[in-house]
Amino acid sequence: MSEALSQIPGGLRYYFGREARLRRSIEDTAMSVLDGWSYEEITTPTVDYYSLFDRAMGHSESHHAFRFTDTDGRLLALRPDVTSAVARAAATLFASSERPLRLCYAASVFRQQPRTRAEWRRELTQIGCELTGANTLAADVELLVIASEILDRLGLGEDFVITLNDVEIFNGVAANLELDASARDEMRQLIDARDAVELERFLTPHASAGDRRAFVRLTQLAGKRDTLDKARGVITNPRSVNGLDHLESLWRVIESLGLADHFEIDLGDVSRLDYYTGLTFKVYVAGAGARIGSGGRYDALTAKFGKAEPAIGFVLDLEALADLLVVRKRDLGSIRAPQREASRVSNDDPALLFQEAMNRRAEDARIRVCM
Amino acid sequence: MTDLTIAIAKGRLQAEAFELLAHAGLRVSSDALSSRRLILEDEAGCCRFIPVKPSDVPVYVEHGIADCGIVGRDVLLESEADVLQPLALEIGRCRVAVAARAGISLDGLGVVRVATKYPRIAAEHFGARGIPVELIELSGSVELAPLLGLADCIVDLVETGRTLSENGLAMLEVITESTARLIVNRASYQLKAGPISQLISSLKEKSI
Repeated sequence: MSEALSQIPGGLRYYFGREARLRRSIEDTAMSVLDGWSYEEITTPTVDYYSLFDRAMGHSESHHAFRFTDTDGRLLALRPDVTSAVARAAATLFASSERPLRLCYAASVFRQQPRTRAEWRRELTQIGCELTGANTLAADVELLVIASEILDRLGLGEDFVITLNDVEIFNGVAANLELDASARDEMRQLIDARDAVELERFLTPHASAGDRRAFVRLTQLAGKRDTLDKARGVITNPRSVNGLDHLESLWRVIESLGLADHFEIDLGDVSRLDYYTGLTFKVYVAGAGARIGSGGRYDALTAKFGKAEPAIGFVLDLEALADLLVVRKRDLGSIRAPQREASRVSNDDPALLFQEAMNRRAEDARIRVCM
Repeated sequence: MTDLTIAIAKGRLQAEAFELLAHAGLRVSSDALSSRRLILEDEAGCCRFIPVKPSDVPVYVEHGIADCGIVGRDVLLESEADVLQPLALEIGRCRVAVAARAGISLDGLGVVRVATKYPRIAAEHFGARGIPVELIELSGSVELAPLLGLADCIVDLVETGRTLSENGLAMLEVITESTARLIVNRASYQLKAGPISQLISSLKEKSI
């Protein structure tokens, strides 16, 4: 049996020409912003033990990875994320480095099956950063400000919205209900889909009418600071109130920095609760049909590698950013991806040809050798 | 109001959907509705409507080409699209049920042959009960399958139940009963929060 060599596996593609230059430009811009905030670049292994991702990301995420075996029979995977390996590095390679530890990366990640049906790609490029060793309000703010600056420098400064939530708000509500793990996840999915009707139906055997109203409200509460006030009216357990207080302090800082126009509080955003431990946020940009970035605090992650410490990070989707900027065809200012004019070099004698070529290259000219 | 693009399920639901939208202040003229135009606008010019095949509504919304959609819950359950469902509407009430030839029971079968337009819903329903199924996907007139021996039973939409009874079939079990939903693209929900919450509250007055 022979397969046509011309075929490419599903979900994978080439990038070339203007698109390739644009991707390079976006990556350079984002990484230079991160460098500006003293984040050091790290490159993690593309192939790693599957068990790393299974334990770090959780099975519901890790099982989307491409898996294969090493020569010794151990299960390997093409990395489905970078954070897992960075957390491991923080606990091992960088165990005695100064804290807070600031690391960033731009790397391909792989999924055997896309996250949603609107998502076609099986290889994605994540631009991300991790701040390890600080669980202060300042750490949360830093990540949000960096994300804003990157989008601003990409020319998307007028078009983005970052939504904020804190997992403790949902966790406090769920704990009160004493739900088992699968019921808790079912409730989480209903809130995540903002499905008030099904949520009401699901909660009827578990909660009083008053409590049901409160949880259904969770699916509808989104907006600016007033969202928190409305939430306090219906959610009163201490754990959730802690979460609300935290969002409030964060909001106050964002407001004083003049960034409130680009932020929203979204108490219905409850994805990946098994992973995050505090602040979670999602990045949306006008023109993109899905989120282009996400992040949050995951203080329980590094403990899995033997050194418990707080950590927070985010990723931006390079392809999503490139799609937006290609479609807009706008003057990208600092991230324009022009191509310099090339001068032709020709000579029948290869020695003379390349002497001329090398001379021009020494002046950093762009040349095209004629053959 | 910023432009919203709303996908509407064609067929049974379409007329009711446009009537509901008209009551909510988004009226599409009858000339436009009876035209061959693929993209319709309301009279005030603030929203665009795209009537599409029911199973395509979640596709347009998931990709963000349509900010919202009106579609039956049967389609939503089957598609498993990653969209928000913030509002149940009072139109498009439907039941998805298991039906078989009257007098037939599915007990004691090693594997149940199920003919359906809803393979995911069927698999989930029987799977949860630990019943092995052989799924036969059909596009229409699913009631024929058990009559001609292609399947032991069907999982299908049931409204009045007349088609079933006139063909000697009986409903064995209701899987789910629901009405149509307003679905919203996740990014639009955040980026066009104002117009969308306005749409939701206008529709709510006529809904559950």
